[in-house]
Amino acid sequence: MANDESQVSGPGPGPQSPIVNPQSSIPRVGVFVCHCGINIAGVVKIPELLARDGVMPGVAVTKDYKYCCSDPGQEMIRDSIKTDKLDRVIVACCSPTLHETTFRNACAEAGLNPYQCEIANIREQCAWVTEDRDKATDKATDIIRTTKAKVENDLPLEAITVPINKRALVVGAGIAGIQAALDIANAGYEVVLVEKEPSIGGHMAQLSETFPTLDCSQCILTPRTVETGRHPKIKLMTYSELDSVSGYVGNFKVKIRQKARYVDFKTCTGCGICLEKCPGRNESWFERGLVRGKAIYRLLPQAVPNKPVIDAKSCIYLTKGKCGNCAKVCPTGAIHYDDTDKFVEEEVGAIVLATGYQLFDAAKLGSYGVGLVPDVIDGLAFERLLSASGPTSGDVKRPSDGKVPKKIVFVQCAGSRDSTNGMPYCSKICCMYTAKQAILYKHRVHDGQATICYIDVRTPGKGFEEFYKRATDDGIQYLRGKVSKIFRQGDKVMVWAADTLAGRKVELEADMVVLATAVIANPDGVALARRLKAQIDTHGFMTEAHPKLRPVETLTAGFFLAGCGQGPKDIPETVAQASAAAAKVLAMFGNTRLTHSPTTAQVDEEICVGCGYCERTCAYEAVKVDPAKNKAVVNAALCEGCGACAVACPSGAMTHKNATKKAIFQMADAF
Amino acid sequence: MTKYTYYPGCTLYTKARSLDLCARKAAEKVGFQLVEMPSWNCCGAIYNATSDDLAAQVGPVRNLAKASQLGSTLVTLCAACHNVLKRVQNRLDQPGNEVESERLKTFVDEKYERPVKVLHYLEVLKNEIGWDKVKEKVTKPLGKLKVASYYGCLMVRPKEVLSFDDPENPKVMDDLMRVLGAEPTRFDFKAECCGGYLVVNRRDVAKGASQKILDNAKAWGADAVVTTCPLCQYNLDKLRALTDGALPVFYFTQLLGIAVGLGQDELGLEHNSGDPVGFLKSKGLL
Repeated sequence: MANDESQVSGPGPGPQSPIVNPQSSIPRVGVFVCHCGINIAGVVKIPELLARDGVMPGVAVTKDYKYCCSDPGQEMIRDSIKTDKLDRVIVACCSPTLHETTFRNACAEAGLNPYQCEIANIREQCAWVTEDRDKATDKATDIIRTTKAKVENDLPLEAITVPINKRALVVGAGIAGIQAALDIANAGYEVVLVEKEPSIGGHMAQLSETFPTLDCSQCILTPRTVETGRHPKIKLMTYSELDSVSGYVGNFKVKIRQKARYVDFKTCTGCGICLEKCPGRNESWFERGLVRGKAIYRLLPQAVPNKPVIDAKSCIYLTKGKCGNCAKVCPTGAIHYDDTDKFVEEEVGAIVLATGYQLFDAAKLGSYGVGLVPDVIDGLAFERLLSASGPTSGDVKRPSDGKVPKKIVFVQCAGSRDSTNGMPYCSKICCMYTAKQAILYKHRVHDGQATICYIDVRTPGKGFEEFYKRATDDGIQYLRGKVSKIFRQGDKVMVWAADTLAGRKVELEADMVVLATAVIANPDGVALARRLKAQIDTHGFMTEAHPKLRPVETLTAGFFLAGCGQGPKDIPETVAQASAAAAKVLAMFGNTRLTHSPTTAQVDEEICVGCGYCERTCAYEAVKVDPAKNKAVVNAALCEGCGACAVACPSGAMTHKNATKKAIFQMADAF
Repeated sequence: MTKYTYYPGCTLYTKARSLDLCARKAAEKVGFQLVEMPSWNCCGAIYNATSDDLAAQVGPVRNLAKASQLGSTLVTLCAACHNVLKRVQNRLDQPGNEVESERLKTFVDEKYERPVKVLHYLEVLKNEIGWDKVKEKVTKPLGKLKVASYYGCLMVRPKEVLSFDDPENPKVMDDLMRVLGAEPTRFDFKAECCGGYLVVNRRDVAKGASQKILDNAKAWGADAVVTTCPLCQYNLDKLRALTDGALPVFYFTQLLGIAVGLGQDELGLEHNSGDPVGFLKSKGLL
């Protein structure tokens, strides 16, 4: 460990006094090298490094410290700026994503322009990735030298500030979106809540009872949906989808497509006569294909809003021009067959993406018999069988012949933890909901036998392990091993599995099989994320800004995440995350203006010929050619400072503040 | 008429003669020609499962090298030959495997001139000719004959290499049967084991495995089973010979042959057990 005992050292073992350059126009640079405990000092030979930097012309002072980010470390920098009369600062430490703000603030407190402080990343880009200590020391020297070339060119800049439109958009009205919308609205801000289905509640509205407390899903959800539907601050837009977003954090313009509903919500009273008279048949995703719905439909009796819509694909009038029953019986004349999609524009300052999940299409698991064997269903379908508002009013009856199944085999990890199907991840909720479903089945069918085939039982949650114990105490059989095949034999469903604890193959005869199918990101959400250029991972889940420390923000300023669109999670976790996203939005709304980095592109209008290369290159729509002047114009509030336009510009008119061509060439020369 | 270099393999000259004969003749009816590779040798039969098995690959490498001198594709028919040749070809041409690939090539005199694409006959029908073209050549639709397509283990596994169909629920033969006017039935045991070589020393195991397959096909209402593997055909057909009322087992090329108008004497039905002629007559196909 270098310099362990001398926590604050002066100039290194090089020249003993700081170099004072008489020409004040030449910048006075201070270099502060952080040990980061042993993270940097254990690899980079800091005393040697300081000796080298000490002889570098133009470096006024070099100091090192065990933890520069600590209070004494920052104090050292502030003192040095004053006593050594520094006008530029380099902190050689960890990545700028971690402590750039810390050190720039410290510099600002000492009277230096914060944009004249730069980070030389000698941890992630040097110490952590270099084994040889001499090479690491050389590399650190190079990084500091190039940073010095940059900081010498840095101009003092003022942060850009923009006003905030204190209205939020929440995309998706499952429990995540509902919670986020309510939290924001209850703090006094307006919310536009967009839901693609005709009513709100999402998958939670499909569920029977919820683990581990077994409270009825509807009973805990409907108070929230009712509050949402009636909240004066929430503008609810159901059967609508977010089409596009322009603008920037604090000032987004969003375009929402309101799908043709063929029912005028203003005049419809929700009486439901039309539902009784409709002869059209519609595949009901809500009932998971267990029953067919009507062409004019609402998802559930407690729907919010409690008004039906017409599915154009299955409506006999809209497809064949005949029928028209619903219009005939509607007492208020609310049916309009000539309805079309409408686009609505809204202005908001922040966007919460709560696009949710879907279950993987288990028919793609070729050996599990989905589609071939009617009595193989997925977990959500079984929820509908258990639900009092489901197609069997909560009686467990199997789809093929309506008989009460006496033996049910539950299959865990159907698609999850299986890289051959592209889902190597754990879907997280299945162990618990399968235990719950088996318990509920035993409540309904006392002499029924439930067997759960599992790989591992994962119960990391409050009360989860106790709940699993309850399942085993209820006589539910747990068989450790993966299921290889499911097929029909007579009126039975056969399951080939392994009992790895006993070390044998087993063949189970069941009346019904329930698959705990993998949770995947909602494909509509994935498509939306692509349109918005929001980051998604390889599985389509939206990526948070930092996996630990910024779990509900995204790298696109102003976009926040809630619910299963970000990854599989259960209801309590979803609600917690949604409230966290709302808190982030509210924290933003607590400011009067937002600051934006001033390190943006700028145009030299003397040189610009208005060719428009920059406009075509810009991913943020921040550069436009003004047709009147025929010159490029940068909207600094939109510009993310990526520098693509400066590279594309053929004339050199476009530059990037504090990363000019001159600075970059000097940085290259510094090697 | 497009010509393809064709590798029949040993079984197609002996037990599985009907698989081969129908395939060649049906191909010409459909619009391509199989040109048998001269002086081919053993495919290597059953891909060697040990990790250091270079020597076992030499036979297939020679076949592939010879094929490479004749063109860039090699058509196979026997599921086992296809599996071995395709996997060895994958080893030869896989990026990152150059050292092993060069070593393998040094063992044979013939020069491996270019990467050879190993295609199964079914792949040719599906991807090179196309189902629409095949359908045009059908002169005698199979009259809604209910057929269970049985693929066995070697056709579509391992997935990474033999990736032209879903290994858990293959569909290519079902699609062909539909094109030929038959009705592919649902079937749970499309890719289960027929017992394989256990028929040699554990006849009971092979019999049990084959029995499950035929019973399941029958339970789904199939009239007949089709396969592309000589060993599967042998095991299933042998069992059928022993069991009353078991389904007849044909090579897919035999049904293809009927559909495109081959004569009864060109179908090699004498190799099938039981009374295939009577069965086909009862279905109005002969």
